[in-house]
Amino acid sequence: MDAALPVSAAGLSRADAGTRVAAGSTAARVGPWVVLLGTAITTVGLSWDIQWHVEVGPDTFFTLSHLALYSGSALSGIASLVMVLMSTSAQRAGRAWPHSAGGPPVRVFGGVFTAPLGYLVSGVGAACFLLYGLLDLWWHSIYGFDAVLNTPSHVALFLSICVTMVGSIIVFAAVRDQRRGKAGLLIAVPILIVFAPIPFEGLNNAPLPVAPTLMGAILCAPMLLIMGALVLGRGGAIGIAVVLGAMQAVLWWFSPWAAQAYAVAVGLPMRDGLLPEPPVLPSLIPMFLIVSALVVEGAMWLSHTRRIHFGRLMLPLGALCGLLVGVTLVVQLALTRPMMHVSPGLIVTLAIVGLVLGLPAGYLGTRFGAMLRGDTQGSDATAEVA
Amino acid sequence: MRRIVVPIVLAALLAVFGAVPASAYAPVDIVHTERVQAGPYAVTVGFSTWPIRAMRSLDFTFSPDGGIADKSGSLIMTGPEFGPRGSDSPLVRHPRKRDVWGLDVQALNTPGSYTIGFVINGPQGQGEGTLNNLTVLDQPGPPLPLSWAVGTLPLGALLVFLVIVWRRTRPGKRALIV
Repeated sequence: MDAALPVSAAGLSRADAGTRVAAGSTAARVGPWVVLLGTAITTVGLSWDIQWHVEVGPDTFFTLSHLALYSGSALSGIASLVMVLMSTSAQRAGRAWPHSAGGPPVRVFGGVFTAPLGYLVSGVGAACFLLYGLLDLWWHSIYGFDAVLNTPSHVALFLSICVTMVGSIIVFAAVRDQRRGKAGLLIAVPILIVFAPIPFEGLNNAPLPVAPTLMGAILCAPMLLIMGALVLGRGGAIGIAVVLGAMQAVLWWFSPWAAQAYAVAVGLPMRDGLLPEPPVLPSLIPMFLIVSALVVEGAMWLSHTRRIHFGRLMLPLGALCGLLVGVTLVVQLALTRPMMHVSPGLIVTLAIVGLVLGLPAGYLGTRFGAMLRGDTQGSDATAEVA
Repeated sequence: MRRIVVPIVLAALLAVFGAVPASAYAPVDIVHTERVQAGPYAVTVGFSTWPIRAMRSLDFTFSPDGGIADKSGSLIMTGPEFGPRGSDSPLVRHPRKRDVWGLDVQALNTPGSYTIGFVINGPQGQGEGTLNNLTVLDQPGPPLPLSWAVGTLPLGALLVFLVIVWRRTRPGKRALIV
């Protein structure tokens, strides 16, 4: 891999020329949204599929929820592939591919392809998803159609989807100064906040103080909130929290409804003895992230008015956001799980977990935000992937 | 370029949306049964695979003589998977075989000796019984660490990617005034 990261005048002018060339390109405008749509369909499909297993049960590969899950990744993958082929074609024809169309170009396989960084990441994630779909098929042939999340093949699928979602964020961050970039980020970041805790299911057998998905939510929500706020600027954190709340509300209503409606449509009954539990995936989403968002906005205001480097605030900010997410998750559990006994011990545990995980969340969120602010826009980064 | 892209898109869309959602589900195929006497009630316990292996999911059916219509009860499972207190849950109909109680595609993840206990309430009062010494053999397939190593490769790839980008962009050295 070699790279020329520093911004050069020649690089910028080349990129600007390319911007003009591709400004009217429908594909450059539509591509990010198709990738994002794919990740959204996957998220809805997973929430629906989990609820189907909980409330109805029988499984084949060709349930509608499975098809949604797989078609979402396929859609993101196809869009990414098309954009990589288009940028490769442009590069071979001597036309510059603007960094605003998916991020800085990366030469892949010794220059056989020239892939915008965001689409490269989202495409690799989608390709991994398809490959691990085969591993999942093999896994089920040995172990049966177990409807659990914490198998190696399922965790691999979830991780692959997360990689695609990271790619989607890089794609939109490349145009973060434009309205479409901000709008895309306001959806792409909350989607990753919804999805990122799911692969933590892989730690289900580890001796952890709380459920691994809760720990995933406590780590990932503040991290991605801070990252998104830095990329979007002031108001971004509140926007992310509001969109996340809307997604949670939609999934909370849709997942049980879709499971029931689909069961009726195919003539299957609901399971006996269902407990009054909230829908699984939506109930993992931090319901009160808006509180942390206000704190992040306060930190950004402080950084702006006092000219304080945001890096000096990242650790206390992360710890505070982690603490708030942990403690408000206790409130969420008490409100939404009537059968759960919320003990003082659980409150203390989640508060400590929040403080501890908040530190890396603040650190990583700030650094990732700086990476997205600095190097997906305007720089002339060209790397090579063998 | 269009000659390449359009067929790829069409083929992928056909593959994804051409698949018709199936409404037919695999029947519950019982290959082994055991009998348990729970007070006045004789129960046939059915297994869709035999012998049972750890992590290999299977269907369990619990069928009292005379049917389940006038009966209710609870299922108590004990063994290495369930801790010292075991697992106590109501007996519910099997989702794909509604005339009997059951558990669908359920795996016992830890090998060892298990018991399946029943408390049944019916026209002849309450009865209790247990199927003892249900042996769960070692897991099939490759060693679990190998499966997890393969399954977490995307995480490894993501971390490598982040490290590379981190080293090139040096986010800690950026003037981050917002």
